[in-house]
Amino acid sequence: MNTTAIGTSEFNRVASFIWQELKPRGKWLTPFNVISIPIILLGIGILYFRFVYGIGFVTNLNQYYPLGIWIGFDVVTGVALAGGAYVITFVVYVMRMEKYHSIVRVTVLNGLLAYIFYAGALTLDLGRPWHIVNPIIGNSFGYNSVLFLVSWHFLLYMLTMALEFSPVVAEWAQLEKARKFLSGLTLGAVIFGITLSILHQSGLGALFLMAKPKIHPLWYSEFIPVMFVVSSIYAGLSMIIFEGTISHKVFRDLLAGQDHHRYEEIILGLGKGAAITMFVYYFFQALLFIHEERWELITDAWGYWYLLEVIGLVLIPCFMYAYAVRNRNLGILKVAAVLALLGIILNRLNVTVIAYRWYDVDKYYPSWQEIVVTLTVVFTEIWIFRWIVTRMPVFGKRR
Amino acid sequence: MDRRRFFATAGTAAGTLLHMKKSEAANAKEGKEFVGVLVDTTRCIGCRACEVACSVAWNNFVPDVKNDNALDHRRDTSDKQYTVVNRFKTEKGDVFVKRQCMHCWQAACVAMCLVNAMYKTKEGPVTWNGEKCLGCRFCMVACPFDIPKAEYLSWNPRIMKCHMCYERLQEGKKPACVEACPADALMFGQKRELMEIARHRVYSHPDKYVHQIYGEQEAGGTGWLYLSAVPFDQIGFRTDLGTTPYPEYTKQFLVSVPLVLFGVPALLLGLSELSDRKNEVRESEGWTETGADE
Amino acid sequence: MEYYTYVNIFETKGLEYLLLMCFFALFIYLVRYLSGPGKKDSAPRDGSAAGGRMKGAGH
Ligand code: SF4
Ligand code: SF4
Ligand code: SF4
Repeated sequence: MNTTAIGTSEFNRVASFIWQELKPRGKWLTPFNVISIPIILLGIGILYFRFVYGIGFVTNLNQYYPLGIWIGFDVVTGVALAGGAYVITFVVYVMRMEKYHSIVRVTVLNGLLAYIFYAGALTLDLGRPWHIVNPIIGNSFGYNSVLFLVSWHFLLYMLTMALEFSPVVAEWAQLEKARKFLSGLTLGAVIFGITLSILHQSGLGALFLMAKPKIHPLWYSEFIPVMFVVSSIYAGLSMIIFEGTISHKVFRDLLAGQDHHRYEEIILGLGKGAAITMFVYYFFQALLFIHEERWELITDAWGYWYLLEVIGLVLIPCFMYAYAVRNRNLGILKVAAVLALLGIILNRLNVTVIAYRWYDVDKYYPSWQEIVVTLTVVFTEIWIFRWIVTRMPVFGKRR
Repeated sequence: MDRRRFFATAGTAAGTLLHMKKSEAANAKEGKEFVGVLVDTTRCIGCRACEVACSVAWNNFVPDVKNDNALDHRRDTSDKQYTVVNRFKTEKGDVFVKRQCMHCWQAACVAMCLVNAMYKTKEGPVTWNGEKCLGCRFCMVACPFDIPKAEYLSWNPRIMKCHMCYERLQEGKKPACVEACPADALMFGQKRELMEIARHRVYSHPDKYVHQIYGEQEAGGTGWLYLSAVPFDQIGFRTDLGTTPYPEYTKQFLVSVPLVLFGVPALLLGLSELSDRKNEVRESEGWTETGADE
Repeated sequence: MEYYTYVNIFETKGLEYLLLMCFFALFIYLVRYLSGPGKKDSAPRDGSAAGGRMKGAGH
C-alpha cells in the first residue's frame, strides 16, 4: 500500500543517513584519542576477566568493603555531578529563565549520558547482573528497600531525560512531526524528572543510612539524604561550568556565532546560584556539627580531613564563587568550580569508601584495574558525547 | 480456704496454664512465633563440632579441626563457612565464641535487599535466594554484624550466610550446629522461652554471668542470644549498635518518597504557571530578549 | 549493660537557633554582595536564577 511504500523509503533514507553519520569525522590523532583508546581497550580486557573469574579477580573488594570506587565514584559521585540536568531544566522550564535556554540541550545530554554510563557501571559491579530485571519486571519487589526505589528512579529518570532530549534527535533525523510532538511533552517530562532527581539524589544517601555503625560519625547523620540533594545542586552547577569551559575550547567551531558575552553571563549566573547553594549547604553542615556535637571528633586526623572537606572545599569555593561573580572574574570562577567539584567527590567518597569502616587497619584502596575501568567508563562517555554533539544540534546549531 | 476449694483453684490455674501452653504451641506450629538459639559461651568448650556440622550439612568447606590451629587467631565467617568459633583470652580464662548470622527481628539485610532475595521467614530465620539476588552486596553494607559474605572469586557469586538451617527446621529438625554441640552450649527454641532460660541462668548464677543477654535488644533484638561471663566487648561483640531496629533508620526516608511524589510535581507545575504569567507581563513591557529555540 | 540516666537530646537547640540567626545575617550580606557592582549591563533583569529570586523576596 501507499503508506507502506512511504514507510520503506523513509526507512531507507533514515538508514543511509545513520550510516553516513556513523563514520568518524575530523582528525584521529588528537591527544585525547591517544590516551583514551588504549585505556578503553585495556578496560574492556579487564572487564572480560571480571565477568569470567569474578569481581574479586580484578578489584580489591573484600568482605568488609563490599563497595569500592565503582559504586563510590562512578555511581554515587557521578550521579551527583550529573545533577546539573535537573537544576537547569528547573531554571529554564519551570522558572522560565530564558537566559539559560541555550545550555539546556547540552546539559540534558550530559546528564543522560552520565546516567546511562553510571548506571552501566552499576551493572559491572553487580555480582549477578543478569538478574537486574528482577526489581523491575515484578517477580520480586522489595518495597521496603531504598535501593529498590533508587533503581526505579534511575530507570524512570533516564526515560524522562531521553524524552527531554528526544526533540534534538528528531531534529537531527529530520522528523519534523515527531519533533513537534516530543517538544510538547517537555514540560511534563521536566517536572517528573526534577521530582525523580530529588528522590534518587537523596536516595543514594539513604542507601547508607543503615550503615550507621560503619561510617565515621563526622559523615554519618540521619540527614545524609538531605545533604546529598542540596550538594547535588551546586555539584551540577559546578559541573556545567567546568564542562562548559572545556566544551568552549574543544567545540569552538560548533559554538561559533554564539556570543561570548552571553556565555559569560550564563556561567556567572550559574556561579551565583552555586555560591548561594554552597552557602546554605555549609550552614547545613554547621547545623549538623552542632546538632551531633561533633566538636569532640575534630581533633584527630579524621577531624582535619573533615575540616578540609567542609571548609577547604565548600566554604572557600563558595567565597571564591561570590568574589568571581561580583568582580566578573572568570578565572577564579573556574577555579572555584574545580574546588567545589573536588569537594563533592571527596564528600561522596568519604561516605561510601574512605570514612566507611574508618576503624579498620586494612583499609580498602582501589586496584589499578578498578581505576582503569573507571576511566574507561568516563572516556567512553566522552566519546559518545563527542559523537553526538558533532552531529546533532546540541549547541543550538547543526554542523 | 478449705482443701476442696484449694484444689479447685489450683485445678483451674493449672487448666489455664495448660490452655495457654496449648494455644502457644498452636501458634508455634503455625510458625507465628520466632525461633532462635541461645549460645551460652560459658559452656562452650571450643571443640568446633558446630563448624564441622554446619559445613557438612551445607556443603561448605569442612575445617580440619584437629590440625589447623585455627583457634590461635581471630577468624570471621567467610564465603566458605557460615559459622566459626573464636577463642578470646579474658580475665576469666579462655572464652570460646561461636559466630554466625544473628537472625535479627528487623533485619537490615532484608530491608536493604531490593528483590527480597534476603528474606525473613515467618519462623524467624533469614534466608537468601540465589534466583533473585542481583549480587549488589548492599546487604553486606547494611548488616550491623558484618555477616553476609560474597563469593568474590566466582562468575556467579553467592551471598553466603547462616540461614538457621531453614530446610532442616521445615523438616522438624534442629539446626545442624545445635544438634552437634556436645557441651549443651547451644539451645534451640522460641525466643520467648530462650529469654526466660537465659534470665534464669543469669539470676541463679549472678556471679558467673554478666547481666546482659546479647541479642535481647541489640539492633532491635536478634534471634540468636548470647550469655557471657565477661563483658561482651571483650569477646568480639560490638556494643555500640544501639537498640533501634536498623530498618527504622530508613523509615523516614521511605515515607517521604510518596510525599515528595505527591507534592513536588504539583508545586513545580504551579511555579511554572506563575513564571509564565510573569514573562507575559515582562514581554508586554518591552523586555523581549529570549534565547528560545522552541 | 543498661544504665538508666537522663540524656537531654535537645541540649544543642539553643546553639542551633543562634547559628540560624548568624546564617540569616550573613546570608543577607552575601546576597547583597553578589548583586553588587558586577552587574553593569544586566541590572534591569534580576540576574541569575537563585540570586534573582532571593533579591525579589527581600523587597
Ligand atoms: S545479622 Fe546481618 S545478615 Fe543476619 S539477619 Fe541480621 S542483618 Fe541480616
Ligand atoms: S546482594 Fe543479593 S541478597 Fe544482598 S541486597 Fe543485593 S540482591 Fe539482596
Ligand atoms: S544454624 Fe545451620 S546454617 Fe546456621 S550456623 Fe548452625 S548449622 Fe550453620
